[in-house]
Amino acid sequence: MARVYNWQIAREMSYWYPESRPKRQFAAVFDVNKCIACQTCTLACKTTWTSGRGQEYMLWNNVETKPYGFYPLAWDVKLLAMLNGQRWKGARYEGATIFESAPAAERVLGWRPTAADYAYPNVGEDDCAGEINRGAAMTLPHASWFFYLARICNHCTYPACLAACPRGAVYKRPEDGIVLVDQSRCRGYQECVKACPYKKVFFNPMSGVSEKCIACYPKLEQGLQPQCFVNCIGKIRLAGWISTPDKARPENPVDYLVHVRKVALPLFPQFGLEPNVYYIPPVHVPLRFLEQMFGPGAADAVRVYRAAAEDADLSGLLCLFGSTEALLARWRRHGAAVSGYDESGRELVRVPLSEPILVRAAYDERRRIARTNCP
Amino acid sequence: MPAKSCLFTGLVALLALAGCRRSPQPSLDVIAKNVEKLSLDPEDRAWRHASEHVAALLPQDVVDPRLLKPSTAFVRVRALADRNQVAFRLEWQDSSRDDLAAPGRFPDACAVQLPATASPEPPNPQMGEPGRPVQITFWRADWQSWTDGRKDDIRELYPNAAVDHYPFAAPSLPKASPAQKELLRLYAPAEAAGNRRSGPRASPVEDLVAEGPGTLAPAPKTVSHGKGIFTNGAWQVVIARPLEPALNPGSRTVVAFAVWQGSQLEAGARKMRTGWIPLRLEPRR
Ligand code: SF4
Ligand code: SF4
Repeated sequence: MARVYNWQIAREMSYWYPESRPKRQFAAVFDVNKCIACQTCTLACKTTWTSGRGQEYMLWNNVETKPYGFYPLAWDVKLLAMLNGQRWKGARYEGATIFESAPAAERVLGWRPTAADYAYPNVGEDDCAGEINRGAAMTLPHASWFFYLARICNHCTYPACLAACPRGAVYKRPEDGIVLVDQSRCRGYQECVKACPYKKVFFNPMSGVSEKCIACYPKLEQGLQPQCFVNCIGKIRLAGWISTPDKARPENPVDYLVHVRKVALPLFPQFGLEPNVYYIPPVHVPLRFLEQMFGPGAADAVRVYRAAAEDADLSGLLCLFGSTEALLARWRRHGAAVSGYDESGRELVRVPLSEPILVRAAYDERRRIARTNCP
Repeated sequence: MPAKSCLFTGLVALLALAGCRRSPQPSLDVIAKNVEKLSLDPEDRAWRHASEHVAALLPQDVVDPRLLKPSTAFVRVRALADRNQVAFRLEWQDSSRDDLAAPGRFPDACAVQLPATASPEPPNPQMGEPGRPVQITFWRADWQSWTDGRKDDIRELYPNAAVDHYPFAAPSLPKASPAQKELLRLYAPAEAAGNRRSGPRASPVEDLVAEGPGTLAPAPKTVSHGKGIFTNGAWQVVIARPLEPALNPGSRTVVAFAVWQGSQLEAGARKMRTGWIPLRLEPRR
């Protein structure tokens, strides 16, 4: 095992290979507060990449309802239980990562899902009717809470899938940090499936090898955002490139949200993979839960996000989410509008911070008909 | 017990005894006995005349991920050779027949390993070493079932599987048309990338080469053959390799074996294996 630096846990840690960061790292920000669980992202990925034989059960992108939804079943709580409690001291994680707690004979602490664990995505996970009968719907704040968690592969800086493969068939592209399973080299041992704490590698029983989210690299290579990003109805997603904190550039949209404003947080940073999908946490969820899921930065992230309405820069940048298919390398607000640019500084999109409001009379005199609101 | 079945049992016992008497003594080496024509059938009578070597199996505990819990204790090996091939018959106890691969599910398998070149000092028995390759023939239970005629379809794995739609199965696409073939290829990335582990199989075995753990790669061509059957809680698998300079009548070399039990989640490096065992090919008269 080598020693590497993981900024998300503010310390060095053990990893199977020495630190080797890509030239640039693909990253994403998901605003959980805006997700409506319509599953359009799931279908966008499914129809693009996983409509083949043996891929029937695979959801490279999935949306689950937390706290009781999982795909596969219990993916996170099972591993949290195996890790047996985590300790943070400020921004520093003092517990053991999944690499540091690997049992004898293993490279990573993990578990193997079976077919049944994948068999019931979303079934029954947001039924909370019991409390409603007891009047819960009539009180504010609501006694019950839940939120939708959209998940893809995190294209981790320290991928567990890659560390676990005894054949070196999983690789991280040096040019963009995308993690791929080499389809010509994989022999289907499923070590990566067992190791990935996010359970984002899938075994294809028909091809006999493992497959995973490819970050839509053919699109990224053309300067376009992935399918599940551009098809998102709620416009919750923004794809881009992330720097390490010491090299953060405020004009880079991902750096601004993650490093400058610290409003977007990694998912289960304590696992130790330095995952690169960052979440703006749901503001209505108990802090203890958010801290377990997104680390010690959760309280500050919620505070910053709650104040976004009075924060023209932050709300301006959030307006760029879902505004264009193009990948945005930079952004800038000018007055009441915000623009996104490519690497060369060419403006790709300009969005007003607030849309003009148009008030129409309830009754249309000319057509002599009452107007109704259509969703 | 009814008289008829009693008689039958007695007969089986007698035959078994007779078989035992004909069977040569267990041997310390693996000795390939000459025959006129090899049969791939593990139940072929010729196997009874070959001496049996009982090879103890050890868990692979050298490289991570390792196998900590031993499973299959030993494998019974017999060998025969004709003018063109040498064949090994492996038999091991397995309480469950596993011939499907799925998430968290692994097929039974076995392998025969030989040094790639004849040398008095064989390479590391653990998959060879850099510059000193080994040749491996790998047999898998699911490949056997496919070659025996099982359909290569998701419904064989999950009988109640519901499939909304395969793009290549659209009614508008004529079957086996270039357009349909192209779509099929698009949605089978491993096969399209040339992974021989994927796609339709004509044989239950695959020839491989390795120069150390983690380096296993397909041989340029699979020239070996094989056949496995599962009876009475045991696999019997025949693996036949063509004779070659390192492996010809009268030669002495070494051979190693490995067994994977799917029910024990054994795959890849998680296996039971032997060290090198002396292999002698009887000279041809
Ligand atoms: S999320 Fe899982 S599959 Fe994706 S890079 Fe990380 S460890 Fe690998
Ligand atoms: S990035 Fe592309 S491959 Fe990955 S989940 Fe989204 S649509 Fe699927």
